[in-house]
Amino acid sequence: MKKVLIGGASLGKVGDHWNKSIVDLAVEAGSAALKDAGIAIPDQIVIGNMFSGFSSSQENLGAIVADNLMLQGTPALKVESSGASGAMACNVADSFIRSDQANSVLVIGVEKMRDMEPTDAVLATSLGECASFTQFFGISQTAMCALLTSLYMQEFEISRDELSVFPVIAHKNAVPAEHAQFRKAITITDVSRSMPVSDPLRLLDCAPIGDGAAAVVFCSENGQAKDTSVEIAASAASTDSLNFFQRDDMFDFAATRRALARALSIAGVSLRDIDFAEINDSYSSVAALSVEALGFSNRGEGARDAKEGKFDLNGKVPISTFGGLKGRGNPVGATGVYQMVEAYRQLIRTAGANQVKEAKIGLLHNMGGIDSSAAVHILRRID
Amino acid sequence: MSIAYWRERNKYYRILGSKCKECSTEYFPPVYKCRKCSSERLAEHEMPKDGKILAYTVSRDIITGFEDQEPMALALIELQNGVKMIAQIADASPDQLTVGDKVKAVFRRVNVNGEAGQIFYGYKFVQSGKKT
Repeated sequence: MKKVLIGGASLGKVGDHWNKSIVDLAVEAGSAALKDAGIAIPDQIVIGNMFSGFSSSQENLGAIVADNLMLQGTPALKVESSGASGAMACNVADSFIRSDQANSVLVIGVEKMRDMEPTDAVLATSLGECASFTQFFGISQTAMCALLTSLYMQEFEISRDELSVFPVIAHKNAVPAEHAQFRKAITITDVSRSMPVSDPLRLLDCAPIGDGAAAVVFCSENGQAKDTSVEIAASAASTDSLNFFQRDDMFDFAATRRALARALSIAGVSLRDIDFAEINDSYSSVAALSVEALGFSNRGEGARDAKEGKFDLNGKVPISTFGGLKGRGNPVGATGVYQMVEAYRQLIRTAGANQVKEAKIGLLHNMGGIDSSAAVHILRRID
Repeated sequence: MSIAYWRERNKYYRILGSKCKECSTEYFPPVYKCRKCSSERLAEHEMPKDGKILAYTVSRDIITGFEDQEPMALALIELQNGVKMIAQIADASPDQLTVGDKVKAVFRRVNVNGEAGQIFYGYKFVQSGKKT
């Protein structure tokens, strides 16, 4: 099979960018990634974004970004899959190269969240649920997730403090990460006693709202990339019922599980080979259910494994190595591309204080809705 | 929003779902194809109005248009036919709610839409009995 290589990458700080528009953020990241890859004109541009039309009244992102990158003539499009938009943009870019449609693809993940009123930001991040029966009644995605969290804690007798370990890991890893939104360590007590948002979920259980953009250049072996040391060993995706409560097993993130199985098979690796994993830790409970669906923990044991140090930076399977969605931040449609750039840094060993020792294979997990869309990528260092 | 409201009104007013003509599985919201037996032969079917609380939350995570309803009590409810749905719990202070409580559907004002002030109605649930 054809190889897809990472030719270069770039990311911006996640947070409040009052002086920058969605186009400013996308162009800045895209331009820097092309420079990093040493590529002037990519064959294709793919943009991962969830709600630019809602947040910035801007669609046709592909064309407006291409225009401002002075790449008029380059085909460009936007990919949307709720919170998995960034990873799905990478998935589409991967297909362009594997199918010989392009030798180089610029992937930009971007989201502008801070221009919105807080209640609009809640609405925007809930657009991936079934509008007629959630939005209409004022039910947010966080509230839905709170109900799942409550059931999960009841079913597996998980304590408040056990759940709080995931945000603690995320914030710890975000401290040295210059691009992270929250570079501040927190304790289990901080999380367990933070303001209730939708109980049992509290403020520090939930990934924050922030602006951000990240970009990566995928190249074929003929793509003339400067760097040829990291390949996309697998790119796989899947879906599941939109409403988690209509699934036969509410505690099985089946979209994630199916995407993982396909990715492992494509890459020809096993879970034991994974040196680190960027997981979709949008909520503490979703982090727990994710490590379970990814096979790193047994059912109902994700939080306890976290407590025992399994997912620490020096643990058996380090997760969220630059802070994840909770610590680095979650500019929704950009998140999957942030994960891609962070994993790339791990594999070219430029992760600084966040470096996972001798990292060779990284797994990336990005989710839309409550695992209604999921994508799993496996990146491999070529020695 | 108001045309979509009109289109969906029977689902909001009567909890009108669907039932498979082959295997009798019931759904809300209605489905295009039976998730159990894949049959495309489904008929409109009204949901039972009684159920029980499987989980509940008091949400302060409020979306635009519902600011005056903060905090909002929401529950995952299992209806008597086994169908699960999320709905607002009305007339209850959250500290009175318990998993397992019986609830029944009621017809209530959901929201007031836009400048014209059109009132949207739909189902909510109220407690009808404590956990037994």
